[in-house]
Amino acid sequence: MNRRMTVILGVIAVVGLFVGLGAMFTVDQREQVIVLQFGEPIRLEQEPGLYFKLPLVQDVFRFDKRLLDYDNPAEEIIASDQKRLVVDAFARYHIVDPLRFFQTVNNEIGLRSRLGSVINSNLRRVLGTVPLRALVSDKRADLMLQIRDSVRLEAAAFGIQVEDVRIKRADLPQENSEAVYRRMQTERQQEAAELRAKGAEEAQKIRARADKEKVVIIADAERDGQILRGEGEGEMNRIFADAFGRDPEFFDFYRSMQAYEEALKGDVTTMVLSPNSEFFRFFGDLSGTISRQ
Amino acid sequence: MPWNVQGGGGPWGPSGGGNGPWGGGGGQKGPDIEDLLRRGQDRMRGLLPGGLGAKGIMLIAVALFVLWGASGFYTVEPEEEGVELMFGKYYQTTKPGLNYHFPYPFQTLLVVPVLTVRREEIGFLTAPEGARGGGVRNVPSESLMLTGDENIIETNFVVQWAVKDAAAYIFNVRNPRQTVRDAAESAMREVVGKTTLAAALAEGREQVASQTEDLLQRILDEYETGIVVTELLLQRSDPPEAVIDDYRDVQRAKADQERLINEAQAYHNRILPEASGQAAQVRQEALAYKGQVVARAEGAAKRFLLVYDQYRLAKEVTKKRIYLETMERVFRDMNKVIIDSGEGGAGAVVPYLPLPEIQKRAAGARGDG
Repeated sequence: MNRRMTVILGVIAVVGLFVGLGAMFTVDQREQVIVLQFGEPIRLEQEPGLYFKLPLVQDVFRFDKRLLDYDNPAEEIIASDQKRLVVDAFARYHIVDPLRFFQTVNNEIGLRSRLGSVINSNLRRVLGTVPLRALVSDKRADLMLQIRDSVRLEAAAFGIQVEDVRIKRADLPQENSEAVYRRMQTERQQEAAELRAKGAEEAQKIRARADKEKVVIIADAERDGQILRGEGEGEMNRIFADAFGRDPEFFDFYRSMQAYEEALKGDVTTMVLSPNSEFFRFFGDLSGTISRQ
Repeated sequence: MPWNVQGGGGPWGPSGGGNGPWGGGGGQKGPDIEDLLRRGQDRMRGLLPGGLGAKGIMLIAVALFVLWGASGFYTVEPEEEGVELMFGKYYQTTKPGLNYHFPYPFQTLLVVPVLTVRREEIGFLTAPEGARGGGVRNVPSESLMLTGDENIIETNFVVQWAVKDAAAYIFNVRNPRQTVRDAAESAMREVVGKTTLAAALAEGREQVASQTEDLLQRILDEYETGIVVTELLLQRSDPPEAVIDDYRDVQRAKADQERLINEAQAYHNRILPEASGQAAQVRQEALAYKGQVVARAEGAAKRFLLVYDQYRLAKEVTKKRIYLETMERVFRDMNKVIIDSGEGGAGAVVPYLPLPEIQKRAAGARGDG
């Protein structure tokens, strides 16, 4: 009797345990749950904790409540200046309306293609209105906000809140990259040539300046030299004038004598002389009187 | 993706096993369902054949309860933090040391290594240690980017990050590591996109790194990831492979420029002292000339004055003597033809002078001389 009671109690306990377990479910901090009854959603639980449901009849579908990532495949975009650009964007979103999410896209795989086309159409629309330069540099943050806002609006239909859409990469297509490389090359070649030319120019200037300075230095010296020579000659003249001025007549005579001597020294020129000259005064006449006709 | 399977369901199943960026990092501790079932079966087996009495059953039940209760103890390592969930709801964060949580099915435990610094390499891959052909491999799709002046630059960088808020880290973001990578790439391109190539290559490098770090942290905070970026290291910021030769040539051109200038400077430094030397010589020659001329003049003047002093004492005699002495010296070596101008004199004779003969004699004399 006692044993049978124990067995029955045991069975009841086990069955009760299973039924009880089937009637309970937890919602994790990181998830949210919809409860389906024969496939029909009847409840939404977004707060974490312990919940009850009808066992066997009701099922729970769990959805992530965390920030989810979506990486958009690279997409070629044409900017308003007809420059092409390969844009690789990503989005971050929350599932805020699991029911709608479940009904419209069913799961994340279903969302992927739908969200992808929403993002791509907005990328094209927004980026198509600006030139490439704006996209790359000054307006990038603004443009990303614009894209995020319109993607958020459209993607609300899937039960998600798009928190951010960011352009991860915005690169030129391969052939345009080649063109940029060629431009960079020619720019650098230009720079190199300019540097060398400037070097040559500077060197030429330095040489020319050196040559000029040399000429000036020597010319200065020559000027000083001429002045010194002039001073010397002036001094000489003064000395001579001083000395010779005392008796110009004697100087005339004395200097002439010197000049004759110097001028005719060592000369073998034949000189035709008249015995009547002063030198030959005593030549034919003892009295020394020159015969004058 | 709906998860109706509890425990390890789906790649990012909420129950934690193998979840998160590091396998087992947020591992669930405590007995799982199968354990519990097995225990239940054991209990049934004990009941049915009737081997044990009620006392024995109670004893086993108590032992099992104690064992279950004891499985709630866990240790948190110094670099970790524990996060306890009560029926899936955040309960508390525990510090390193011995801790207790109510075991399954009441509480779940997640352990996060918060202090471990993680490292993301962007733009390159470091081969695992000991790998063949190891070293660093460039990843062009990540490293090449457009600069603000529509040039292309190659940038490699490392992001080091840690967890600052374990609960936020676990609960708010599904794929934290990928989020850090995506945000870092996006931030770097945004910052480089505002920088010119020349700046990004040289003086603006620090600025690029710090701005990217700030922007990355801002994005991660906006996502409430609970992640802190501890450091962003710009490894490389170079011109792309395709144009590197031309950049190097610019460096060579700079060297050439300096060389040309230095050579010219050397020329300058060589010829100017030469010129100074030459100038000094010219001056010295002039000084010498001046000295010479003055000295000569003084000498001549002095000589004249000395002679003059004597002359003054006996004017006629001295003058005559000087004249005669001078003439004597002048005529001594000279060919002389003396023609008396008396009868007919020079006027008649001169025309008949045998001038060629005289010249010949003169030439002969000169030849002898």
